[in-house]
Amino acid sequence: MSTYTIPVGPLHVALEEPMYFKVEVDGETVRSVDITAGHAHRGVEYLTTKRSIYQNVTLTERICSLCSNSHPEAYCMAIETIAGIELPQRAQYLRVIAGEIKRIASHLFNVAIQAHLVGFDSLFMHVMETREIMQDVKETLFGNRMEIGANTIGGVRFDLDADGLAYLDAQLARLQPILDDIITHYRTNRSFIDRTRGIGVLTHAQALDCGVVGPVARASGIAYDVRVKAPYNAYDRLDVPVQTGTDGDVWSRAIVRLSEARVSIDILRQCAADLPAGETGPRERQIIPAGQTVAKCEAPRGELIYYVKTDGSPNPERVKWRVPSFMNWGALTLMLAEAKVADIALIVNSVDPCISCTER
Amino acid sequence: MSALPADLEPRLRTAAPGGCAFSQTTNARGVTVAWCELADNADLFAAATLLKEMGARLSTISALQPRPPEDDDEDDDDAKAKDAPPPVALSGLPIDGKTYQILYHFDLDGSTLSLSVFLPVDAGTVPSLTPLFRNADWPERELMEIYNLRIVNHPDPRRLFLDESIEPAVLERLIPFSTLVNAASTKSLWEKIIEHKEAES
Repeated sequence: MSTYTIPVGPLHVALEEPMYFKVEVDGETVRSVDITAGHAHRGVEYLTTKRSIYQNVTLTERICSLCSNSHPEAYCMAIETIAGIELPQRAQYLRVIAGEIKRIASHLFNVAIQAHLVGFDSLFMHVMETREIMQDVKETLFGNRMEIGANTIGGVRFDLDADGLAYLDAQLARLQPILDDIITHYRTNRSFIDRTRGIGVLTHAQALDCGVVGPVARASGIAYDVRVKAPYNAYDRLDVPVQTGTDGDVWSRAIVRLSEARVSIDILRQCAADLPAGETGPRERQIIPAGQTVAKCEAPRGELIYYVKTDGSPNPERVKWRVPSFMNWGALTLMLAEAKVADIALIVNSVDPCISCTER
Repeated sequence: MSALPADLEPRLRTAAPGGCAFSQTTNARGVTVAWCELADNADLFAAATLLKEMGARLSTISALQPRPPEDDDEDDDDAKAKDAPPPVALSGLPIDGKTYQILYHFDLDGSTLSLSVFLPVDAGTVPSLTPLFRNADWPERELMEIYNLRIVNHPDPRRLFLDESIEPAVLERLIPFSTLVNAASTKSLWEKIIEHKEAES
């Protein structure tokens, strides 16, 4: 039987971001996939060297919306290492709070879309409505729903008073039972399981081979989480159970994300209970000396790594970063092998693709 | 979390007979960042093979054209500063803002080791690490499109993000902001509109 090629994308494969898949199919079955990227390439890496080290905190936050907090977080960590700046204890916990709030919102967004793609729109709307709790938390605590501007070099730009902590606690108390119920749904609902189990499998060996990170790696049984393997901020003092799966399929990746959102609630509660008093950041800006380092943090999608080199001038000499989505595209070609055409969008969404992050 | 294996440095030195400069720092939380600069680029593949055997994951690859350190001694007169030869890398190549450096960032159970090589402008090549690390594919393609670098034996050396119509080595050129954003801001947009309107009337 002869094969023919169908275009998938570049628009709206799963999310409103462009990526073009040239899929060769044999009947209903995918035979090969060729990915054409570049639709969202903006040259941000070039731009970082034309702006000052401090301006780049703002610029890096605008690389991506869902992991917008992780970019300035890792970037600030790199600059702080170069300048030998030790973060105040309170700021270390506040950074964790900002990161975990973003993680819950990001994970719920992805699993909601997953429900939409299997045609279960009432579940999709229920999860998105639940996610609104975290969107409200962001708007209330940081003043913004997506770009929360939490980080600054040497500290954080927000603080939580007793009212803020009480509000956060109340919202988490609202979220937890609904999330527990959602997790049960994703674990047991037949129509969700039938469309997602055994689909888009990435085996443990393939996951190691592709160098994938984050929930994609953990769903394939790789227990790697930067928060545990290379702790930063206050993570070395917090209990962070790493969530893994065994099957490496679309379902496992959704369950890992949901379990991680649940763990994030516990981490937020630990932070609120242990939050030390004191300063949240430096009173004055420091001059950043020459140096280079590598910093990494666990973004919602996995390890985000920044290489930064400075030369003592106001602008950085080189800023290079690699987002967790970057390796997922290679892994996708393995997940899509022998897949059914109807499952392509499902599988693409299951890696939680971020194209504006990948292409910069 | 664990520290880097104690035998990493001696094993790297054995894998790289051409010589290397190794250094590492461990922060208060026990996270190690290490650097290993190779003197001979011919040792790159052997060193990467060793890291693969040790279970390392290739995180990413960075490239840059390191600038010489700025002379901030105010008393120095300009002529003297100009005459001073640029510092050199371990391989003997000058660090003059043109020589390339490629850093391969590896993750070893949470610790990071950056293996680096220097390449002369116009002539240098390095082998592709894709036979060892499948995920070197996209990072190497990206290097080749933003710098004038050549990776030998890459299985798919097409452009990655940039269109074929864009001239190579974009990161080596000054690109005005208005060009970068396709005149989506600044007055050149209005100039285009006015030009168009005048042509119409």
